[in-house]
Amino acid sequence: MIIQREVCVGCGRCQPFCPAGAISFAGLKSEVDQDRCLECGTCLRVGVCPVGAIEEHPHVFDYPRAVRKFFSDPCAYHPSTGIAGRGTEESKTNDVTGRVGPSSVGLAIEVGRPTVGMKLSEVQKITRALARAGIKEIEANNPIHSMYADPETGDLKPELLGERVLSAIIELELPRDRLAYILSVVKEVAREVDSVFCLDCYLRLEPGLVIPAEVAGTITAAGFTWRPNAKINLGLGRVFEPEERP
Amino acid sequence: MTHSLHREGSLDSLGRDACLFVYPARGFNYHGSGPRIRRIVEIIYQGGPVNLIVSTLRENMYAPITREQVLGSISDGAKAYCVFDDLAKLKETLVRLKKADLGISLVVSGLIDRVREMAAEIGLDPHTINLSLGIQGKTEILPPADLRQFTTMCGHGMVSPNLVRQALRQVKTGRLEPWPASVRLCGPCACGIYNPKRSMELLEELAPVYAVTRL
Repeated sequence: MIIQREVCVGCGRCQPFCPAGAISFAGLKSEVDQDRCLECGTCLRVGVCPVGAIEEHPHVFDYPRAVRKFFSDPCAYHPSTGIAGRGTEESKTNDVTGRVGPSSVGLAIEVGRPTVGMKLSEVQKITRALARAGIKEIEANNPIHSMYADPETGDLKPELLGERVLSAIIELELPRDRLAYILSVVKEVAREVDSVFCLDCYLRLEPGLVIPAEVAGTITAAGFTWRPNAKINLGLGRVFEPEERP
Repeated sequence: MTHSLHREGSLDSLGRDACLFVYPARGFNYHGSGPRIRRIVEIIYQGGPVNLIVSTLRENMYAPITREQVLGSISDGAKAYCVFDDLAKLKETLVRLKKADLGISLVVSGLIDRVREMAAEIGLDPHTINLSLGIQGKTEILPPADLRQFTTMCGHGMVSPNLVRQALRQVKTGRLEPWPASVRLCGPCACGIYNPKRSMELLEELAPVYAVTRL
């Protein structure tokens, strides 16, 4: 995002709206710190500027800066998945897609959330740790998948590492018996990450909204607990277009 | 992902806060889903959510748009996101949606125990759960927990801690009432699940104890 200096009246109204804290006064006018700006578009979308001084950066869709927008603006659609938000569907449509089956479990590592953001080099710390643990492949219908330079090492494309985004989700599916080991890997790499990440675990339920004891036991044994609130797919979806199923 | 499983706050407060999501799936029930999703959103409107957005318009319930504009914008593949401040209203909505049997994935985000009770009463058998195993990493750089009660209500982290601080200052100093301050906090949330009723309660609760260091 940029603020046209010749138009800005220096009222400062836009400043508190920036989730990255990237807007501040430079003299009597507001200015966007281009390194901190995540291109989320919030300052423009809320229409807070009384004189229309805020506009998109002219190079917002140029690679590699474009990843800032795709990973930070919930209204932008990821070119690789065609999905807005963080470009993932994880458990949301599992009742029709069956992505996570009854003997597996999904993990989502939401790097940068909540609200902190990070450089994509922080994501690489985690993808490398996962690769060392034998996770060479993450969910294909996830924008991070297209950012891998080498799945064997977990290296991301080097030109992306300096880009700052609000959050990105590493998504993987595991056999349930691998969950304990991967949780220990995640716990270890958490000490190296110069940001925060939310950890999600999604799985098929037993009848009556019962979390399978095998998974619940693994999570607690690994030293994690789950929050009392969760996202629950009600199982009301159906498949209408079988000819298009992958 | 709308991050709703990571909403923070007391159990009492979270008990008045439940999101409902409508998701068609590419390659499974995407093509031709427009009329079904439009009907689902009509049913949701009847239930009385406190906020709602469809992905084809991205304007929340407090923006100057009509329901007809929202419904008219819905096309194949549209997603809908909304939040209820009353679980009884959500339950009534789910009863209607189950009866309508429109075949699009519905996801509820809320307290697990409450959703379990509700599902049993309605006769639903939930399929998949996404559990939050908490925040990891350098947690010392997070905004304070009292502010995170607000900021985590926006699924994509668009409500900045500084905006919440400003709202608290405005309420504390009498420059803004809690409700308009909450509606203002809804503005940046592009996923429509920021709960302005809960936000208003939190502002009323926190403003008296919030120290104003600048106006």
